[in-house]
Amino acid sequence: MMNASFPQVRIVPFRMLKPDTAERLLNMLTGVSGIRRVMIHGPGLPKTVPYGPARGSPNPHSDRKAIQVGDAEIALRVQVGEVILEVEDAPVIEEIRSICDGFFTGFSYRLQEGRFMKTAPTLVDYAKYGPDADTTLIGLADPRKGESPVIIRTKR
Amino acid sequence: MAYKPQYGPGTSIVAENRRKQMNPNQKLEKVRSVTDEDIVLILGHRAPGSAYPSAHPPLAEQQEPNCPMRKLVKPTEGAKAGDRVRYIQFADSMFNAPSQPYQRTYTEMYRFRGIDPGTLSGRQIVECRERDLEKYSKELIETEMFDPALVGIRGATVHGHSLRLAEDGMMFDMLQRNVLGEDGIVKYVKNQIGEPLDRAVGVGKPMDEKWLKAHTTIYHSLVGTAYRDDAEYVEYVQRIHSLRTKYGFMPKEE
Repeated sequence: MMNASFPQVRIVPFRMLKPDTAERLLNMLTGVSGIRRVMIHGPGLPKTVPYGPARGSPNPHSDRKAIQVGDAEIALRVQVGEVILEVEDAPVIEEIRSICDGFFTGFSYRLQEGRFMKTAPTLVDYAKYGPDADTTLIGLADPRKGESPVIIRTKR
Repeated sequence: MAYKPQYGPGTSIVAENRRKQMNPNQKLEKVRSVTDEDIVLILGHRAPGSAYPSAHPPLAEQQEPNCPMRKLVKPTEGAKAGDRVRYIQFADSMFNAPSQPYQRTYTEMYRFRGIDPGTLSGRQIVECRERDLEKYSKELIETEMFDPALVGIRGATVHGHSLRLAEDGMMFDMLQRNVLGEDGIVKYVKNQIGEPLDRAVGVGKPMDEKWLKAHTTIYHSLVGTAYRDDAEYVEYVQRIHSLRTKYGFMPKEE
């Protein structure tokens, strides 16, 4: 069982981010040591039209593209609405806050502390990953999508 | 004394705009111009230049029953020609979009004939005969009831009206039907149901914040006029709420 007491924060910009802006923000956050897990959250941008008369036809969208964060490539499937982070301890939050203060200049943002990410496997996770699931990866990817989380390694 | 509609309560600019849109005697300001062909492309119901497909023969060619109602009500152009019933649907952002679903329905009911509007929380659809639809759509898009960035013409997959705007000020659209070009003009690259268009259709530049605040019909305490600031409107809604609640108990006067 994972330690459930790791603090979690959520960066909520007042505008939804374009992939380039999200890439710059995430690259700045990779410089912070003490971030355990990051989740990018926002409304989905499907590859095909999900419903309506044009259902199934391709859905080109300029915001659904791959971004480079640290040494890893992340294929965005959502418009970045918020970034959820789990950190080692409280001082890391202040470091994130100071980065965000400098980053969001055109529009404001909010940094909220709370519980925004799964810390223990749910029934769906159990059904998908079984009893020995790696709890550090729980809640980072949709278990039904068959996609795994991206691991970002940074130079220390 | 003849009945004179008041259209709605309120002393704020939002209330004023609501009344202005609803009142058919007020001419709506024309803000942009979009060609008939462009409207047909965005609607996506028929190819531009093609004949209107019909649902029944023109009224002049078919035997009409002897009905007093039919003598009283003159058919619209579309009904006269026997056009199919087609639709246009709008999604309006809550961030000061110039019109809103309920507002649209009220406005259309006052201004247009032969329509069947459907009102939902985040979108509003209006159905009518194809010929009439194109005429009404032109009016809805060219006038101050439309903003290229904050109003979306979306037949399906409408999600976005209550979301934060994108960095460039556009309302979220999963299908990205309209894009803000380098030249600052919003162009539709897909028709309203999300099928790609052969050519992009320009609908003009997004209006600036000041214009939107002065022309919106939604209350918004963060980006526009707060609802609580309009005491008359609040009083009216409280009165309606109180009366309908009491009526539920069937009050009897002693």
